[in-house]
Amino acid sequence: MAETKQVIIRVKRQAGPKEPARWEDFSLKWRPSMNAIICLRDIAENPVTRDGKKTTPITYDSNCLEEICGSCAMLINGKARMACSALVDHLEQPIRLEPMSKFPLVRDLAVDRQFMFESLKRVKAWIPIDGTYDLGEGPRVSPEVQEKGYPLSNCITCGNCLEVCPQVNEHNQFVGAAIISQVRLFNMHPTGAMNKRERLEALMGPGGIQECANAQNCVHACPKGIPLTESIAEVNRDAWKQALLGWLLG
Amino acid sequence: MSSTATRPDTSYFLRKLHSFTGVLPVGAFLAEHFWSNSAALVNAAKYDEVSRDLQTIPFRPFVEWGVIFLPMLFHGVYGVYIWLRGKSNVSAYPWVGNWLYATQRHTGLIAFAYIGWHLYTERWLTHGKSTYATVESDMQNPWYLLFFVVGILASSFHLGVGIWNFLCKWGLVATAKAQQAAGRLGVVVGVVFSIVGILIVISFRLNWHPFASYYISK
Ligand code: SF4
Ligand code: FES
Repeated sequence: MAETKQVIIRVKRQAGPKEPARWEDFSLKWRPSMNAIICLRDIAENPVTRDGKKTTPITYDSNCLEEICGSCAMLINGKARMACSALVDHLEQPIRLEPMSKFPLVRDLAVDRQFMFESLKRVKAWIPIDGTYDLGEGPRVSPEVQEKGYPLSNCITCGNCLEVCPQVNEHNQFVGAAIISQVRLFNMHPTGAMNKRERLEALMGPGGIQECANAQNCVHACPKGIPLTESIAEVNRDAWKQALLGWLLG
Repeated sequence: MSSTATRPDTSYFLRKLHSFTGVLPVGAFLAEHFWSNSAALVNAAKYDEVSRDLQTIPFRPFVEWGVIFLPMLFHGVYGVYIWLRGKSNVSAYPWVGNWLYATQRHTGLIAFAYIGWHLYTERWLTHGKSTYATVESDMQNPWYLLFFVVGILASSFHLGVGIWNFLCKWGLVATAKAQQAAGRLGVVVGVVFSIVGILIVISFRLNWHPFASYYISK
């Protein structure tokens, strides 16, 4: 019988944000269509390192396994991407798995993306449709706006665009491309546009859109192919018009 | 909706001012500066005439400080502050835009240092009365020559990338196609400035005046 193919995985482990980090190697039995999450599951079934030491299962986030929930982003061979769509056969081995570096660590590969959710709240990334009475039907959304908005609505808040951005770091509270793109989405919606000014003003506060320095890494890293640089440019245009010309033109 | 959202703060306005001053007046001044210095390509007499004309512009100290020195100082100092708040990652993500991001910071610093030295030697020491002869003798020093070449290339690169950044960051080009076109415009600006700048240096160094036949004495 032919020798079974092995997959070598190297995982950065850390019991908590203040604990020391260490690397653990695992050797797994290769199976067709294996992805990084399957590897982590296999390790959980049999948490033994490559050199035979017993260890604990690895902590990580995942849910949908089809690049739609956004929870499984991590650094795979040093690059930010979704683990569930990272096919082992396309990766150089040993496959290095590390947690994202721009979000607070929870444990092992799990990080806390709360910063993104707080930022979405800060820019009011929703459309208010509830009132104390029936507000009736809203304006119709033109097919043109629907077509532009749909790709933007695909954002899964994975955080890859923040992870790869040189302007997101410990000195800088930049909200990142995803949030700016969501502002564009909700501002282009006819009902959402009623809060356009508020969203733009929130985006011109500390860590706002001005921190973008046009490295354009976000658009390459986004697993959903969202036209982030286009969103940033458009929101930038609306923002400076509001900030610099608002007092002149009303 | 409550009104607890953050509001535009000074960092927004300073960032916008930084971006704007890079093109106007700093970029525009660079264009003017290369334009007037290309008089050297005609001959020494033409160069000295242009230099004298510039010395006689009305309100000269206000123009020099308000339109040239202060905007440049702000653009440079705030640029260094911006650099310190970024964290380059080209080795992990070597995409073109990311390379430009990193190089933009290094060329900016080189250009800033160069311009400081250049102002000191060619403006302060000469009291703003540089002549063809003084620049020509400076150019005979190989270290001066090298610094001129490096400074010109860094400034030209920084302006080219800066124009691209400016157009993207003010939303004047938004779609991927338009941004690519803006990128090509930046390349043209960078290359043209580099070539013209180097030609001027060669002109001083070798007393080379390819347009000498254009000259009409006053
Ligand atoms: S914009 Fe793209 S990369 Fe950024 S969070 Fe959304 S899906 Fe992820
Ligand atoms: S598990 Fe949902 S995106 Fe990967």
